[in-house]
Amino acid sequence: MSKPPERTADPLTIAVPKGALFRDAAERLRAVGIDVPHDVGRKLTVRTADGTTLLFLRPTDVPAYVEFGSADCGIVGKDVLWETDRNVAELADLGFGYCRLVVAGRRIDRYHEGAPLPTFLRVATKFTRSAESFFAERDLPVELIPLHGSVELSPLVGLADLIVDLVATGTTLREHDLVVVEEIAESTARFVVNPVRFRAKYDALTALLDRLASVPA
Amino acid sequence: MRLPAGVRDWLPHELARKREIEQQMRAVFGRWAYEEVHTPIIERLDVLERGLGEETTELLFHFNDRRSTALALRPEMTTPVARLVSTRMREAPLPLRLAYVAPVFRYYEQPQEGRMRELTQAGVELIGAAGIDADAETLFMAIEGLDEIGLRDARFDINDARIVDGILDGAGLDGEAAREAKELIKVRNLVGLRKFERPALVEFAQRRGRHDAIESARAICRTPESRAALDELHVMLDRADSLGYQDRVSVDFALLRDLDYYTGFLFEGYVGEIGFSLCGGGRYDSLLPRFGFDVPAVGWTAGVERLLIALERRGKHVRRRRHRVDVLVAGSDVVAARERAAGNVVRYAGSDLGDDALVDEARAHGIPRVVIAIDGTVRELRVGPRIGDLPVPRTPSNWDAR
Repeated sequence: MSKPPERTADPLTIAVPKGALFRDAAERLRAVGIDVPHDVGRKLTVRTADGTTLLFLRPTDVPAYVEFGSADCGIVGKDVLWETDRNVAELADLGFGYCRLVVAGRRIDRYHEGAPLPTFLRVATKFTRSAESFFAERDLPVELIPLHGSVELSPLVGLADLIVDLVATGTTLREHDLVVVEEIAESTARFVVNPVRFRAKYDALTALLDRLASVPA
Repeated sequence: MRLPAGVRDWLPHELARKREIEQQMRAVFGRWAYEEVHTPIIERLDVLERGLGEETTELLFHFNDRRSTALALRPEMTTPVARLVSTRMREAPLPLRLAYVAPVFRYYEQPQEGRMRELTQAGVELIGAAGIDADAETLFMAIEGLDEIGLRDARFDINDARIVDGILDGAGLDGEAAREAKELIKVRNLVGLRKFERPALVEFAQRRGRHDAIESARAICRTPESRAALDELHVMLDRADSLGYQDRVSVDFALLRDLDYYTGFLFEGYVGEIGFSLCGGGRYDSLLPRFGFDVPAVGWTAGVERLLIALERRGKHVRRRRHRVDVLVAGSDVVAARERAAGNVVRYAGSDLGDDALVDEARAHGIPRVVIAIDGTVRELRVGPRIGDLPVPRTPSNWDAR
């Protein structure tokens, strides 16, 4: 671990995602000398010894905090950037948090082996924006069913023919006898900044960028 | 009774603050010898597309009139002013200095703060003037504009649209690849740029500074146009320094503005705590030729609502008092007219109110005089604050203790 930096005149506010990315994000920030607590508990924000303010947010909220400048910068999965389409500058791929956004279906339907899709295709997903543009690019008319959890249940009970979901290890798909029909894209954690704040706090933000990017993934 | 998304009403006290900013901007435009013009809110769609490029159409509110002529609400003022000048002012001696303070309309799918569907732009166009003197005039006027409204620490980043083309050329990119890289530079997506495996591109998109940054770009800029642009940025920094702006003007090579007509010098102004830029502009020598008038031009514009947000965020807004009324008149048109003729602001009250009701009304609105002209007599009452309205030192403990 590098030495903690001096308390600077221009301290940063960093949006840190809770949930699946938290452990890796916290570890990466600690590796560059930002003292992220191990147990955040119910805390919303923490001021570290070097003056940095950390905001602990739901991952999907990180882009909004950064776009409006309530945080100077943040760490967020690329999948969230696709979904939220916020105006933030993507400065570095941090490498961790790897997962794939895929179209998946039931093994017995054989869509993955090229079986014809139903005429009235229903697709359940938490990623409506990404799903919509994926099917629109292929000129496939689909009915999207936005869900908020356990998307893998929907094809099993006939709610949807296909799902669009994130896959990290594939365990969830296998457990429910679902298979990947097509991969849409790969996602990893990104370091994002507010475009105007990048100028206003250029020295502090580029220094943090250089340090974050030089840590081996 | 709901408003459409992305538009808003302005109540009197809100509008007063907005007008104040607009007047301050007009004052700055006037000091630089610019004259205000007005163009219609509605333009023909083909005119706007000619200026803005067809890909901008999705940004427009557009519709047909009953003869199926395609029309649109203007999304910015530079194209309408270019149309105006190229059709109506061709014979006017150049350069022309024109200003506007005007509402424009943008079709944002998801409007939000700083991205409203109706917004007010205050800006200028300097038409028929090429070269760095004209570029500098727009930048320094913008700095004075933000100073005027009280944002004296606003910072300005400058660039030149010719430089990125020099960089892309130097990196050996052209056609579709160059276009894609330019889009990534514009949003400063370094992750996307790294895929081109040209480290110089990433370095360039991240590079911001002053003379040192310009020199580091020179190493990879080979086209004569881009090298000339780099020379001009040096000069621009020097000229800014001579006005005492050395801490306020920097070079940012990734600064490429949204609209595609810019051909040279570019800038944006911002304050640290607001996440979007407040004003910006640049040189657009190719715009007027699209309207058949082959002259160069440069301009800049500020978003009045964004300026308001910046001031409000700082608590800088002196809460303006209600519109001041000098006298409350009851019962006589003649007396009221005489008071107005004397230059007073007159509020006219019904003649069915008694003295007490009139005094109450005057007091409620902070009006110092009441003139009552009923039954042929004219009486004047002076209205002071009620005792209960006078400020009382707060001693919270007393009453609770009793």
